[in-house]
Amino acid sequence: MMNETSKKLVKVKDLKTHFPICAGVLNKTVGYVKAVDGVSFSIEAGKTLGLVGESGCGKTTVGRTMVRLIPPTEGTFTFNDEAVFSASSNRMKAIRRDIQMMFQDPYGSLNPRMTVENIIGEALGVHHISSGKERRNRVMDLLDKVGLSAAHLNRYPHEFSGGQRQRIGIARALALDPMFIICDEPVSALDVSIQSQIINLLQDLQEQLNLTYLFVAHDLAVVEHISDFVAVMYLGRIVEYADRDTLYANPMHPYTRALLSAIPQPAPNKEKHRIVLGGEVPSPSNPPSGCPFHPRCPLAEERCKVETQHLIPKGAGGKQQAACWKT
Amino acid sequence: MTDLTTTTENSNKPVKGRSLWADGIRRLRKRKFAVVCFFVVLVYFILAGLIYLNEAFNWNISLFDWRESVGPSYQKPWAEFEWTPEEQDLAEKGRTFFGTDFLGQSTFRKMLYGAKTSITVALCASIISLLIGVPLGAIAGYYRGWVDDIVVWLFTTLSTIPYILLVMAFAVVLRERTIFGVEIKGITAIYLAIGLTSWVGICRLIRGEIIKRKESEYVLAARAMGCSSLRIIFIHLLPNVFHIIIINFSLRFVSFIHAEVILSFLGLGETDKPSWGAMIDAARTELARNVWWEMAAATVAIFIISLVLNIFGDALRDCLDPKLRTD
Repeated sequence: MMNETSKKLVKVKDLKTHFPICAGVLNKTVGYVKAVDGVSFSIEAGKTLGLVGESGCGKTTVGRTMVRLIPPTEGTFTFNDEAVFSASSNRMKAIRRDIQMMFQDPYGSLNPRMTVENIIGEALGVHHISSGKERRNRVMDLLDKVGLSAAHLNRYPHEFSGGQRQRIGIARALALDPMFIICDEPVSALDVSIQSQIINLLQDLQEQLNLTYLFVAHDLAVVEHISDFVAVMYLGRIVEYADRDTLYANPMHPYTRALLSAIPQPAPNKEKHRIVLGGEVPSPSNPPSGCPFHPRCPLAEERCKVETQHLIPKGAGGKQQAACWKT
Repeated sequence: MTDLTTTTENSNKPVKGRSLWADGIRRLRKRKFAVVCFFVVLVYFILAGLIYLNEAFNWNISLFDWRESVGPSYQKPWAEFEWTPEEQDLAEKGRTFFGTDFLGQSTFRKMLYGAKTSITVALCASIISLLIGVPLGAIAGYYRGWVDDIVVWLFTTLSTIPYILLVMAFAVVLRERTIFGVEIKGITAIYLAIGLTSWVGICRLIRGEIIKRKESEYVLAARAMGCSSLRIIFIHLLPNVFHIIIINFSLRFVSFIHAEVILSFLGLGETDKPSWGAMIDAARTELARNVWWEMAAATVAIFIISLVLNIFGDALRDCLDPKLRTD
């Protein structure tokens, strides 16, 4: 779907994650919550894809399905030319070394009963990489990399602030020298001042270690800062995909336009053109017919209610893609 | 909250962190009354231990020799008496502190010995019920599915039978049996009966806690890292519910002491050695003759340990549960 000039490290094709809804005495499956419903994207090595969308659109589920925390319903994920979803458990353990994950909640993502050394170094033990003094040195290295010091080695998570905990989370993700990190809203639980520190740290590390990121977030300003490419999700599907500059300058999908118009501008005198969407996000267990966005879309017409548009090239150069009949 | 990562701690020496355990114990030590209660509990345990050692090494400490006749039968507490020459070669004056029973044995010594019986039963029953309940609950909660169905079925079935009836049935069945070449007699039958029937509560509790915590981000992080299920259960989940086990253990201990008393009272307990239940059982007939001291000694002993264990258990819960932290 995208130009194949450089190596695509991550390729996700038609990913679907459906959760069964069980009801009744016999717990029969009466339907599915289509959390992710046909998502495709790819990321070049060393680049960042920002995945944005409002709560409940399935962006976190995409990340969790990719590392098989949630079993996928359909689709493929090819990482470094290897199929992840069909990998055996032994192979999967090896793949996990290269794919790491960062979590949203700095208070919940660290085991409160473990010291920082054990939290960061655990992966080294699990994958039989190093132990004892060697492991300790590696952990100290990592702490240094994320801006903490060896003084924090024997401390417990509850003794740290949110930003520091997120740094510990980053160090944990880096412990195995991964190629690809899925950042699941890593800054949305932090203060704005700390957010920028963490974002800059992530960018520095990307440069130093040639990391590839899938950056899941709902904050468009943060995504603009860190991403090379941006995918906008709505109700389990990607509705627009483009490189960052194009997307922010010239959004094609009406949903993206509405989202972008909602970013607060630090210019109080500037005239605002806020597009306010009516209605609620439809339930992913019973999505609307046709284009899932049509009930809230200001441009919707008859055709949108019946037919679903897939991602098609839009705009000049065809690098931008949007799933819309109208624009 | 600001990120004080590099400003406050520049030294590179690891600082000892304070674990949640250390933190809990520090808070517990601030509660003077709980500490007093703890020492009272300790006195009971030391007493039981000393009686054990006395029996094992034949120290012949007269205070623990409950078999010895210290006076005529049914002597009142603090009553002075004189041995008749027929009963004692050397006629001498004596005094009993807590009175004597029908056989002229000291009520006080019997009460002390009862501590050993009670604590042995409560301790062994606790260990048995924890060994059954905790792993079952953890496995059921973590794996869910059919494993969970079986465990839930097992404990709901067990809990539909009235507790005392169930314990009595087990005690009767297990008495004077030889199972796997081990002869079960006396209090062994009691603690087996109590232990085998009372794991339901802790199992249910642990199962619920594991279900609650297995979706937390630190567990997801461990799974994404490639930790095995057993590692997640034993390294990540159980240490985080261990305070619940400890609290439950301390509160449960009292009910096990009571269960032993009830069984002994019903004549299913220790028959040839004193226990508080047996003392109360004997007092049934004695009370009509105005012999109240045997009943009083046993009830006071039970009352004190029940009270202090409950107070201590409550304090333990307040201090060890990170969610109830007040300071």
